[in-house]
Formats: sequence, structure tokens, C-alpha cells
Amino acid sequence: MRGKPVRDFEYLEPNSISDASRLLAEYDDDCRLIAGGTALILALRQRMLAPTHLISLAKIESMSGISVSEKGELRIGSRTKHAEIASSDLVQSGWPMLADMASCLANPQVRNQGTIGGNLCYADPATDPPGCLLALDAVITLVSSRGERQLPIDKFIIDFFETAIEADEVLAEIIVPKATCNSSAHIRHLRIAAEHRPMLNLSIALDHDGDQCRDIRFVIGAAVPVCSRITSCEEFLKGKVITSALAAEAGDIVASEMNAISDMRGTDEYRRDIARVVTRRALSDLFGLKEG
Amino acid sequence: MKTQRITLSVNGEAHDLEVRTGSLLSDMLRDNLHLTGTKRGCETGVCGACSVLKDGDLVKSCLSLAVQADGSNITTIEGLSKDGDLHPIQQAFMTHGGLQCGYCTPGMIMTACAFLKDNPSPTREEVRKGLSGNLCRCTGYVGIVDAIMASAENV
Repeated sequence: MRGKPVRDFEYLEPNSISDASRLLAEYDDDCRLIAGGTALILALRQRMLAPTHLISLAKIESMSGISVSEKGELRIGSRTKHAEIASSDLVQSGWPMLADMASCLANPQVRNQGTIGGNLCYADPATDPPGCLLALDAVITLVSSRGERQLPIDKFIIDFFETAIEADEVLAEIIVPKATCNSSAHIRHLRIAAEHRPMLNLSIALDHDGDQCRDIRFVIGAAVPVCSRITSCEEFLKGKVITSALAAEAGDIVASEMNAISDMRGTDEYRRDIARVVTRRALSDLFGLKEG
Repeated sequence: MKTQRITLSVNGEAHDLEVRTGSLLSDMLRDNLHLTGTKRGCETGVCGACSVLKDGDLVKSCLSLAVQADGSNITTIEGLSKDGDLHPIQQAFMTHGGLQCGYCTPGMIMTACAFLKDNPSPTREEVRKGLSGNLCRCTGYVGIVDAIMASAENV
């Protein structure tokens, strides 16, 4: 049996962000923005949402594309698709963790349809981009007809499916500072190979000199309500010469510090066990250690 | 019922249609244009049976609204054969047993088309990764991977 059809709505296609913002203010909770639609259409089909108006961002050209600013920052328009990030020479050369993450996200079709901005605004914990962008210290630009403001990723995504976006704001751009790390890795752990949503992911931006850790940003996602840095693990590793024993100890710190969730993909206890092992292996790989 | 007028090209043929705003691209292809080769499977973006090409990119037509396809070029499974001759990938699926019940086949073949355009000489492992957005519950995938590897040599 087919599910219920999607309820009809007025489909609006503004040409500028300020027009989109005015429409958002006018229709408030009766409207939703649509970019790629991969997440929104599921919510519409399940009738978790039944907006009277859908505001498409498809005609706003200024919101897509990838460039590097004079300051060396990566600027990604929020309507940029995951596949475009994965195949961008600029991203691959300057921020390889981000390109690698995007190239393995979900599946080929979703990478061709879904956008980075839509992904962030949905704030689904079981996804890869937020943690990766947090490890890279990214900020996002929110624009409305009232003006614009910038927020770091962890001030934007504040909880399980919850962001700091105001009703009339549009996420316009993602800005990733020039990378200061010389090594990085995004690792996703899937419950089963056929499932596309991770049950746990790690994003690690590391600056090291051989086996000495100079600086590190260590982020865990998908296994927690909202992706977050494990600063106690970062402080533990900074300045040290990393051995297999220290990599294992870092895994223990992550397992005990993380705010693990329980859901259909695994219990909190299981996620802590996986985090312990994945952390140890990731650090061993990054530092070229033999697994003890 | 709210409707919107869209114009698009499907398999090289121009269409000017009045569609319900809530209709999916897969609904529009099947119900308005009667191109029933594109299948409705899970309709939750998992199985890939509804895969079509939109401006050359592989997409799931159940995860797209018909109104989002305004102005685009869509290719469905019906657009692959020419003058009654099967596309080489269609032929390879027959030769190598790339199907049993056939329900996933249109989506698999559209995926294979897009995949081989980007990666004309893949490894078996790359083919399997390329199929990660498509499910088949009959074949165990071996025949499908065989068909795509054989197509890679012939296309």
C-alpha cells in the first residue's frame, strides 16, 4: 500500500535571500524552505510537516558555489550539493577531510540531490557534515532582511534536530578557515554496511610533527545528541609523543566523556565501546603506529 | 488542489504540464506521462528503484518534487533504447543475469549509466560502492556487478 500523498502547498521561488526572508517572516510556521529536499520530502510524506507554503531556494544563484577568499578561507554556498563538494579541486587540495567525508556521504543519488546547508539546518544527529565542519572550525552565515550574523557550527546546531536559526533567517554560506592541521580524518562507523546513516563518527584535525601531537581538534558525532569536541581528549594528547598505549588511553577518555545516546542503531554502552576502539584505531592510523 | 505549470524534457521530448505541487517526480513520470518503467519502491529514498537522470545526474525521483524538475532534462529507463535496440547496459543485464524479479532493474540500469560515465573502467569494488544507493532483494548483486563490468568493456 502506498502512503498518503504529500499535501499540496503554494510553491514559491524567490530570486534573492532577502525576498526569501520576507516570505519566511510572512508565513512563519506555515512555511518551510526547500533546497535539495532529500530530508524535507520524507518529513512531508510522513506528514510530520504539512506547510501551506514551500519556499524554494533554487532560483537564488548567490547561494551556490565553492571559492577560496583572499584570506585563504573556503566559502561554500549553502545550496552546494554534497557531490560538488566531493569533486571540488579546491576542497580536495585544501580541506581533504571535507572532500573525503562528502564523497562517502549517504549514497550517490543523495549526494547529487542533498545540499550542505539543508543538511546543517535539519540538524539530524545521524549524519556526517556537522562534525567534520566542527573539527575544521567552520562558521555559518545566517542572512535575513534584517541583516546577517555569523555563528560557529556548535553555536548553530544546539541540540537533537534543533538549530539557533530564527524564523526569518536563511543559512547562506559556510566558511571554513584556512586549515592549520597537517593531517586529518573523518571516520564513520555504520551499524550495517547497507545503512547510510552512521551510528558514530569521528572527525579529527591534527597538527603533528612526526609522532608528537602539536594540536588536535577531536569531534564525535552521530553517537551523541549533537556533535561535540571532546576537549579532555584533546588536552590529554596535546604536546605528547603518541604511542599505542596513549592512543588506547585516549579511547578510554572518549568513551567515558561522550554523552552517548541509545536508539535503534545501538545502545549507549555499545556506542561507548565502539568509540573506544574507533578512537584508538584512528589515532594509530594518523600517527602511523602499529596496533598494540 | 494546488497546481503549478512546469516545462521539462523527458527522454528528449518536450512537455508542458500542470502538476499538483505535492506530487513527486516519480508520480509525475508514472501518472502524468505514463512512463511506468521508473518504479516506486520504498518511497523513502532507500531502495533506488525510482532512480532517473536529471540533467545527467543520478537522482531518486521519490526524493524530488515534480515542481523541482521545472526546466530540467530527465532521462528514464524508457529513454535508453534506440529504435528498438537495447542499450548495451540493458543487453548486459540480460546476458549476465543481472535481474530476477526485475523490479529494481530500471533503477540499477540508470545507476549503471551514470556510474560508468564518471568511471568508465571501474573495479568490482568501485561498482559495488556505486550501487550503494540501490537495493536488490533477489540476485545477491553478483549478476548485476558482472553486467556492469561487462558493460564497462563494451560501452
